[in-house]
Amino acid sequence: MQTKSRFSRRWVLAGAGATLASPYIWTSAQAQAAGTIKVGMPLALTGPLGSVGQQQKRGAEFYTKLQNAKGGWLGKKIELLIEDTAGNPAACVRKAQEMVERQDCRLFTGITLSSEALAIVPKLAEWNAIFISSDNGDGRLTAESFVPNFFRANTSGPMGTRAISLYLKDAPYKSFYALGLDYAWGHNSVQVFENELKRLGKDFLGKVFAPTGTKDYSTYVTKIRQSGADGVYLVLAGDDNNAFLAQAAQYQLASKMAMLSEQLELTAMRAVGEACLGIIASARYAFSIDNPKNKEFVELWKQEHGGQVPDQFEGEQWQCQRVFEAGIAKAGSIEADKLRPALEDLTIDDIKGQVHMRKCDHQGVQQGFIFKAAKKEGYSHPVPEIIATLPAERTTPPCNKMTYDD
Amino acid sequence: MSTLAFLLTQGVNALSQAALLFFLGVGLTLIFGIMRIVNFAHGTLYMLGAFIGYSLLRYTGSYWLALALAPLTVGAIGTAFELGILRRLYRRDAHAFLMVTFGLALVTGEAVRLLWGSDALQVPPPALLSGVVFLLDEPFPVYRLFLVSFGIVVAVVIWQLLERTRLGLLIRATSQNAEMVHALGVDVKLVRSGVFGIGCGLAALGGVLAAPLVTASHGMAATAVIDAFVIVIIGGMGSFLGSLIGALLVAFVQVFGNYYLPDFALAFMYLVMLLVLVVRPGGLLGKEA
Amino acid sequence: MQKMKPLPALGGFAVVCLLIAAPFGLPVFAMTLLTELIILGLFAMSLDLMVGYANLVSFGHAAAYGLGAYASGYLLLNSSMPLPVVVLLAALLTGIVAIGVGWVCTLATGVSFSMLTLAFAQLLYAIAFKWTSVTGGSDGLAGIPRRAGPFAMTIFTSKTGFYYFALACLIGAYFICRALVRSPFGLVLRGIRENEAKTLVLGYNTRLYKVTVIAIAYALGGLAGALYAPFAGFANTELLFWLLSGQVLIMVIVGGQGTLIGPILGAAFFMLLEHQLSSYTEAWALFFGLIFIAFVLFAPEGIWGLARRAFARGRAPAETRHD
Repeated sequence: MQTKSRFSRRWVLAGAGATLASPYIWTSAQAQAAGTIKVGMPLALTGPLGSVGQQQKRGAEFYTKLQNAKGGWLGKKIELLIEDTAGNPAACVRKAQEMVERQDCRLFTGITLSSEALAIVPKLAEWNAIFISSDNGDGRLTAESFVPNFFRANTSGPMGTRAISLYLKDAPYKSFYALGLDYAWGHNSVQVFENELKRLGKDFLGKVFAPTGTKDYSTYVTKIRQSGADGVYLVLAGDDNNAFLAQAAQYQLASKMAMLSEQLELTAMRAVGEACLGIIASARYAFSIDNPKNKEFVELWKQEHGGQVPDQFEGEQWQCQRVFEAGIAKAGSIEADKLRPALEDLTIDDIKGQVHMRKCDHQGVQQGFIFKAAKKEGYSHPVPEIIATLPAERTTPPCNKMTYDD
Repeated sequence: MSTLAFLLTQGVNALSQAALLFFLGVGLTLIFGIMRIVNFAHGTLYMLGAFIGYSLLRYTGSYWLALALAPLTVGAIGTAFELGILRRLYRRDAHAFLMVTFGLALVTGEAVRLLWGSDALQVPPPALLSGVVFLLDEPFPVYRLFLVSFGIVVAVVIWQLLERTRLGLLIRATSQNAEMVHALGVDVKLVRSGVFGIGCGLAALGGVLAAPLVTASHGMAATAVIDAFVIVIIGGMGSFLGSLIGALLVAFVQVFGNYYLPDFALAFMYLVMLLVLVVRPGGLLGKEA
Repeated sequence: MQKMKPLPALGGFAVVCLLIAAPFGLPVFAMTLLTELIILGLFAMSLDLMVGYANLVSFGHAAAYGLGAYASGYLLLNSSMPLPVVVLLAALLTGIVAIGVGWVCTLATGVSFSMLTLAFAQLLYAIAFKWTSVTGGSDGLAGIPRRAGPFAMTIFTSKTGFYYFALACLIGAYFICRALVRSPFGLVLRGIRENEAKTLVLGYNTRLYKVTVIAIAYALGGLAGALYAPFAGFANTELLFWLLSGQVLIMVIVGGQGTLIGPILGAAFFMLLEHQLSSYTEAWALFFGLIFIAFVLFAPEGIWGLARRAFARGRAPAETRHD
């Protein structure tokens, strides 16, 4: 009896060990010659930022489906390598490294967290890989942490704040208080806002930062109310944004002052419902952006996704794929040394209007959109209603900087 | 804002926070008191309560029904888990419980994501509790006032249950000397299963109550489990009154601390725990040294 | 028990030979993965010293890892010291900090002790988050180089060279731990694990022993973290977060606590499983959790215990403690 169970345990252990180790032992460079162009996307599909990663995935898959039907890129089909990092930078680097070393993948996009992006970016040169960001808003990525193989197709954090500030120039509000999440993005955007207000000659009454994971915002609501400001500027995201908005509505904060936000996605609007009515926010992408290409995109998206409209990061991911497409077509190749110069000084005209990937810091120069969260026929929750569009040259910061000069 | 209004506002804020923390911690302290189990899955059960509450609200239209049934559902799931898996582990050391509850947390967390999706879901409070009450010109959300009152009610109910009923006596006796209780002819296994179920149900109750404030979301679980542990340790593992005091202490420190020193917001809870444990290693009312 | 000795020693030697030969046979990514496994294995083994031999269950061991990583990352970015020196210095620093941490935490026992270790780790996390000028705040330190330093120790900066350095650290740490647990010091630790009261009565200053083992465990954990920073090229607050503390504790348990080798296998198992599962399905956490529950129910002695029983010659011993 002893021997028998010992034997079966041996086999189980050996089998398990072999299964775990085998994919790595056998040499397996699946080269590009296999006939597809690989795009690596080590995303956060689960975990607190899972809903953002899921949006990026959907955006990329939708684009890939349509583009592959037209023949893909350079006549080859696009293959997305999508894996879950659960928002862990160590896992992200590991997976990206695997995609480079085992699958010979040299194109990356859709990295969800800025901490993950910052970990990946220094390795791009070593990997000879190009990374075009679709949602990383950290200003540093085109400033101090800039590397030549990095491109940003999306609106950055500073750009979102700048758009709001430009809108506020002619708005009746005179004084503001700011609440941001206590990490790099929050601090960065609030700083830009403070600088912009000074330039506009408006009053910046104070700011406070809440750590991510804060469940109870009552103290912060109290501080905001006490400030007596005309408006409060919010730099929050995800669960924290939802919690704050739900709680602020219970204090009827909106009746006391205007509420402005650096960003407000559809998932947030669905999660808090009427609590976000009346909020004025900067949109990185909104389905209600009024131009023919976007209308077409939204229609196709609705057909594919059972009537759902595309959310912020889904649209940003689509735009990012379009940038890839244009760059690869211009370069005639996916090799980093050829693709890099092709992506520089590249202009596309798509769902957000014109986007110019400029040479100096690889930022996509694009318009800013301001919307108000309003009720609309046919939707059970508030939706973005565009109230202002700001010109690209005014919204995008100077080269390699996170702040503005004028 | 006048000083009185300020104190009143902050006071209510702290009490409502304490109520939520209390609901989180009381289930954990009961489970630890009886079973010496460190339940890593406590936060995911809290989250499960919120999501089940969301579904119940959507399909019945009644928040009150959701409030009643979600804890019962999760309590039943917890009891099933105890009967099926935990029971086999009582003879083993504490590490077994750590790993099995870690596994449970992973499984439950992913199950929630598979069943309800990745997005946060809205759980609005009932119309009765949606308004605002003005005192001294300051708004006090009715829902928070409800949380405080409900917290007091539940605390009293549990206290009376523990002190006055036979079940309570069994629970207290089992936590002190399970062997003796067994020798007296009581089915200790049943007490354990029941307490585990009640503990899970209380966690879920906390989740349903928190959902109107924070939405039913996936990040809930992570912060919840740490908060629960801190409250319980400060109060003293196994002490019901301790978890109440721990919740109040942490809530007041956080509310006033975040107001005056927002830079330290991340650290307050741990500093309090550190101070308490250095002075009284077993927690404020702890039975263990 | 004596019957077992020659076989494991031979087996161990064979494994080490294989590891030394690895860079010549394995493909590139396998080497990357193996290096990370070695670092994680070292991290898990360091925790086993506390958990398996002294029953000091730490919920905050990520503090050691993170502190080591930040220290080595900071030094590599801001000084011209060579990599090996930086790594060892960072480990030493972590050990020194741990003396203070250990001294406070040992005021309590049981779960209170565990929560105190968690409190320290979270406080370190908060400090790292806010002290942006030194730690990079929420962005962390990026672009950490594998600096060769003034004595042209370039051998350590190549991928293979770094691998050998990490391997040497692991093997060295293993022998240190092994010697420690077999020494009289180790016997006292086990006395503390079995019955602290009795050990106290016998005249031992149990607190001193506990603080010492904590300092060594943290130093070795810090060594692992110090290796991780130049390996991955970054150090951020996630390395200090309680999630990592929980994961490394699970690695120790699933590998088999109190065996030193077990936790190394546990770390490898955990990481490989997570990596593989997450590339097959989004719902990987579900299977991951189920596998751990299965381990608890069907393989209570952990991977190492399973392996010993399955491959043992002669009578299979029920005792799995590494003596």
